Amino acid sequence: MKHILTSILALGVLTSYAQNPAPARPQERAIALTGATIHVGNGQVIQNGVVVFDKGVITAIGDGSTPTAGSEVISVSGKHVYPGIISPASTVGLQEIGAVKATVDKQEIGELNPNIRALIAYNTDSEIIPTIRNNGVLLTQAMPQGGTVSGSSSVMMTDGWNWEDAVLKKDDGIWVNWPSYFARNFNFEDFSLTIQKNEKRTEAMSALLATFAEAKGYLAMQNPTPTNLKFESMRGVFSGKQNLYVRADYSKDIIEAVKFAKSLAIPKIVIVGGEESHKVATFLKENNVPVILGELHRLPNREDEDVDMPYRQPGILQKAGVLVGLSYADGWWRTRNLAFQAGTAAGFGVTDKEEALKMVTSNNAKILGIDNLVGTLEKGKQATLFVSAGDALDMRTNVVEQVFIQGRKVNLDDRHKRLYKTYKDKYEQK
Amino acid sequence: MRRHFLTALLAAGLAYSAVAQTTFPRNGVYDERPGLYAFTNATIVVDPQTTLQNATLLIRDGRVEAVGTNVSVPAGTVIADLKGKRIYPALIDIYSDYGMPEIPRAAPGGGRGGVPQIESNKKGAYYWNQAVQPENSASQLFKATPAKADELRKLGFGTVLTHPHDGIVRGTGALVTLADDRENTLVLKSDAAAHYSFSKGTSRQSYPNSMMGSVALLRQALYDADWYKRGGNKEQSNLSLEALNRNQSLPAIFEGNDKLGVLRADKVGDEFGVQYIIKGGGDEYQRLDEIKATGASLIIPINFPQPYDVEDAWDADNVALSELKHWEMAPLNASRLASANIPFALTTAGLKNKADFWANLRKAIENGLSEQKALEALTTTPAKLMKAEDMVGSLQKGRVASFIITSGNLFGADNVIYENWIRGKQYIVNQKDVVDLRGSWQLTIGNQSNVKLNVTGKSADKPEYQIVIDTTKITPKVAVSGEIISIQTQLSRRPGSGTTRLTGYFTSPTSVKGEGETPDGKQITWSATKSGDAPLSTTAVTAARSTSATSSTAVVYPFVGMGNAQKPKSENVLIRNATVWTNEKEGVLTETDVLVQDGKIAKVGKGLSAPAGVKVIDGTGKHLTTGIIDEHSHIALLTINEGGQTSSAEVRMSDVINSEDINIYRQLAGGVTTSQLLHGSANSIGGQSAIVKLKWGESPEGLLLKGADGFIKFALGENVKQSNNPSAGVRFPQSRMGVEQVYMDHFTRAKEYAKGWTTYNKLGAKEKTTAIPPRRDIELDALAEILSAKRFITCHSYVQSEINMLMKVADSLGFKVNTFTHILEGYKLADKMAKHGVGGSSFADWWAYKMEVHDAIPYNAALMHRMGVTVSINSDDAEMARRLNQEAAKTVEYGGIPEEDAWKMVTLNPAKLLHLDNRLGSMKVGKDADLVLWNAHPLSIYARPEITMIEGATYFSLKDEEAKREAMQAERARLIQKTLSAKASGSPTQRPTFRRSRMWHCEDIEGVMAEGEEEGK
Repeated sequence: MKHILTSILALGVLTSYAQNPAPARPQERAIALTGATIHVGNGQVIQNGVVVFDKGVITAIGDGSTPTAGSEVISVSGKHVYPGIISPASTVGLQEIGAVKATVDKQEIGELNPNIRALIAYNTDSEIIPTIRNNGVLLTQAMPQGGTVSGSSSVMMTDGWNWEDAVLKKDDGIWVNWPSYFARNFNFEDFSLTIQKNEKRTEAMSALLATFAEAKGYLAMQNPTPTNLKFESMRGVFSGKQNLYVRADYSKDIIEAVKFAKSLAIPKIVIVGGEESHKVATFLKENNVPVILGELHRLPNREDEDVDMPYRQPGILQKAGVLVGLSYADGWWRTRNLAFQAGTAAGFGVTDKEEALKMVTSNNAKILGIDNLVGTLEKGKQATLFVSAGDALDMRTNVVEQVFIQGRKVNLDDRHKRLYKTYKDKYEQK
Repeated sequence: MRRHFLTALLAAGLAYSAVAQTTFPRNGVYDERPGLYAFTNATIVVDPQTTLQNATLLIRDGRVEAVGTNVSVPAGTVIADLKGKRIYPALIDIYSDYGMPEIPRAAPGGGRGGVPQIESNKKGAYYWNQAVQPENSASQLFKATPAKADELRKLGFGTVLTHPHDGIVRGTGALVTLADDRENTLVLKSDAAAHYSFSKGTSRQSYPNSMMGSVALLRQALYDADWYKRGGNKEQSNLSLEALNRNQSLPAIFEGNDKLGVLRADKVGDEFGVQYIIKGGGDEYQRLDEIKATGASLIIPINFPQPYDVEDAWDADNVALSELKHWEMAPLNASRLASANIPFALTTAGLKNKADFWANLRKAIENGLSEQKALEALTTTPAKLMKAEDMVGSLQKGRVASFIITSGNLFGADNVIYENWIRGKQYIVNQKDVVDLRGSWQLTIGNQSNVKLNVTGKSADKPEYQIVIDTTKITPKVAVSGEIISIQTQLSRRPGSGTTRLTGYFTSPTSVKGEGETPDGKQITWSATKSGDAPLSTTAVTAARSTSATSSTAVVYPFVGMGNAQKPKSENVLIRNATVWTNEKEGVLTETDVLVQDGKIAKVGKGLSAPAGVKVIDGTGKHLTTGIIDEHSHIALLTINEGGQTSSAEVRMSDVINSEDINIYRQLAGGVTTSQLLHGSANSIGGQSAIVKLKWGESPEGLLLKGADGFIKFALGENVKQSNNPSAGVRFPQSRMGVEQVYMDHFTRAKEYAKGWTTYNKLGAKEKTTAIPPRRDIELDALAEILSAKRFITCHSYVQSEINMLMKVADSLGFKVNTFTHILEGYKLADKMAKHGVGGSSFADWWAYKMEVHDAIPYNAALMHRMGVTVSINSDDAEMARRLNQEAAKTVEYGGIPEEDAWKMVTLNPAKLLHLDNRLGSMKVGKDADLVLWNAHPLSIYARPEITMIEGATYFSLKDEEAKREAMQAERARLIQKTLSAKASGSPTQRPTFRRSRMWHCEDIEGVMAEGEEEGK
């Protein structure tokens, strides 16, 4: 496969207009990766380990003594095997070129859109997708934005012919932008940002409360007529089949959002963003509410905040016992750096690298409700994993060499590699 | 109830203006008067240094005729006995807009979105730019406004310097009195000062739209005026330039508005040999040394911030420590200026409520400002600054007779200003010689005789009244006017009980008689007799006035929570046993020592011995590198784009350095020591760069890296052709085709311009006397510098076609492009770049945020590097700059660059691109000791700086960080407690809002906030 690709590239057939590589073919025979340092994703590391998978599912995992009979054995000695990185709260697949409106499908107009489904716009042909996959991000949660209730997200694989076969979990949750205590105002006189009380909050809050209360009532009816598509789409949130994802950053907003969910007996709420979640860590722990943090590589919120607070936040939450996941927020193309955020977390207070790895693998899987399928390298789980030449959390050492999604061996070509190759050839660089 | 006849006379307003109105015809009979008055037995403060007891002030015809203890009063003088009272010179405010036309407030957003106004809307033979209006003359615009004059007179002011607060060059100010009269008699000095500012005011002309554009426009206008004088006037008539030349001889006042503005204004003045008088902002104490060094006299407002509402602990986090500190320290400003011997005048400008003037001034005095200094700042100092000390500000013989009569010490809390005389004309502020009514009065109202009126108060001038009926206490309304007293009061607290109104006259100082009307309209008679002393106070005895004097809090440098009380100093240091990244042929050395002496790298080697007095740092297990150099940064700037024109080569980023930006500190924590602060990418030819060292705490001038070559920002592509700006379509160019022509046009002109100067400079001395010199054009100066390799281009660029274009333009005109920045398609023509000799300063892995970065690849740096291009990795982003080491590491991941070469991309290579590799960028003896000690391999994501030093001074220390944070927390807690008690004692508060200056990216065009800031590359 690799050789064929190389010769195609050498012939110069693939210009910059070339398409993404075709999605991988289903796994045809069992594969055993041997000799690797296996990062299970639950905190465990297996030295000189073996992972065997067949028909897309891990059939065995363990140390060097794990039997590999009947498998294609691929020695990855000295290399590292990781579960696929899971990127929650993402617009990958929903936008291509930020400044070109025609390529952006990440939000709908209107304030209350629980019925909007991100799944539909997930573009498996996005040229962004192979670039994030090639850094180990193998699953992404396509998330709608905009309004107060944005719609529902779905968990997608970064490989597939169309959204139907790329989806891992359909409509996993409804997204709410919590009306914030503080609003940002830009001052054109001195070009400063002022953050002050949000004067429109009351209005937004009452619309939100009414919608949820009425939805709950509607859903309790036997045969409600006329059918309300918005309310119908919220059924899973009340039954516990779907998460309620609430974007909130300010400490008071976070508390209020959680209280709101409790008051409506919504079983599963997830705080997303959570820039001040460390201030309410105890509250979150007591209420058993997980947090998906936004981009860690951000500036502190305030002049006086510790310079490294965003980096330290995952560690603070982890030590308080809160289930923490990491995301890349709206940074679609930057999502390829998600594993490095875990690296930052490990460098700034999370107990160790494996604990940090959990924040982009098993923790995210638990939060998104897909931990029965993915998130760790355990028997029975999907063989969605990758092999890196080194520590995948560190850009200095991470070079992804093999990717398997549900056991399918994925072609590692992407737009960037093609252009690299083209110009390397032009300059005859080796 | 005995009254002086004079007082009655004066009170009746009969003291006629002593100033003749000679040129006006009269409608009626001439009524010219001698205007001869004597004020005797007074304590006279002739000037802040001279106080005479029991003295006489004699005035005639609006001027001081004599003042002293032995003044003979000529016959016919109207005499006022001021025993027990004081006379002060009337106060002067030289930053007023009194009598000026209302300046229309700019509509929010200031004309953005509409069609840009490229040319001036002011028709006539004026300057090309509407913000330059030296021809404006306050004396021509001046119209007396009695209500405003009255407001200021009540505060004790007699004279103001007024000017229209609009524009960058504002014209002349007029020194006027605050009398109510014909303007002819009010103007003391018509062109008393010339006024300047950094704000273009109501001008909606596109240029300038930034602070540095304002400064550049001012510079150009001054050069143009000079050219005009030296012959330009033969080419054109320009009323503005004529006026600007005329105004050069006047005292020049510059509106600085804050501490950095003061420094900036003075710097501009230095360039032109002008010492501006600078209007400050009340925060000068935060940069006292630098401000003193300017040598400027200041005009200082005394408006103090209100305490913040910090009752909710979480909301209160929105208030920065710097704001809390300024709230506490602002009242100290004037006293700190005085102690530093910085001359200053005080102004009421900026006071939302002018009536707060005295309360605030007293607060400043409680905080250490001497009364004498305060008086100087309101009299002699402003008079001197306006070269009007022979007219106003003191009461020596011959001065204008403008003075105030007070009950006592002008600065005392209980002082009452009785009268304000302006040019010999009396204005009564408060009645003097009022009868002391304080005591207990027994009232008989009709047949009711159980009513008592208690009159209390600290002085007779400020009586407080209370009606007592048995045990019921009622506050009445009492007015005493001359011989007449009127009282309105309820006589019961029962709901619905109406008001009884009584009017009476004094029959003796202790008895009153009169008539009145009951609530039901019945006429009654009443009388009152003073029966004895009333209780001291009717109100609860207030606690002893707690002194609001500020405890001695420390100023920190810069004035930000994370600032230092002491600016870091260079130390001699030996770092032992570290892994040292030399960036030299020695490569990475393990277990190596580095000795720092006098801010330089003194020795690199194994087992170095520590000279005496050298601080030793154990580097075991750590990595030591030189500091990161960010080739493309926009931190520490107040604004970044002057987008008003397609070329803004004349603007200098060094004019807008914000030394107080917390991002400086944040980046030190990421190992950055030097940054090139670039203009944005709004136009094809941007502005002149500033290269700074991140010496946290230094002033803007102190941050600048001295002796660095001059650089300038250019830009290509979507931003300069305004592709992503929906309201664009007017400014040339709108395509990449036009961009080329912008360059060809500007450089062609610059070439001819330079030639013009060469020709002129070759002329003999005699020929020069007749030849008109070329007009100095600071925009073309900068471009001519590029042509003669004295200024170097950093060009924002993405797409190969335009990169190629600029190299071809440069080749055709015989210069080199120094650096392409961003250069995301550099890999497509790396061979051509290498041939041209241009460097590339790129992002590691950015792409997809707009159309022109669609072909950006993370292998770009590797491809360029391998073709021999000097490559650096830059940030263009305040956050990413904190981890440029990681961005460099991405070139290892993408393209397999060797680690040492990757590391050079954020150290030695940017030093080369900035022509600073002779002193920065590698661990070589003699180079600057800008060092970072890392806890781990510096290219690793787990690495963080433990120490960041610049020239041997430690600006960041992880070890000290904890203590610093605790100290900050403690200071914050103290100030919050203080704020809470201020609120509890009734001070109005302001709601916490959280302001932060913009996080600039080069995309950000002034006035247009880029959608999705973080993608704004």
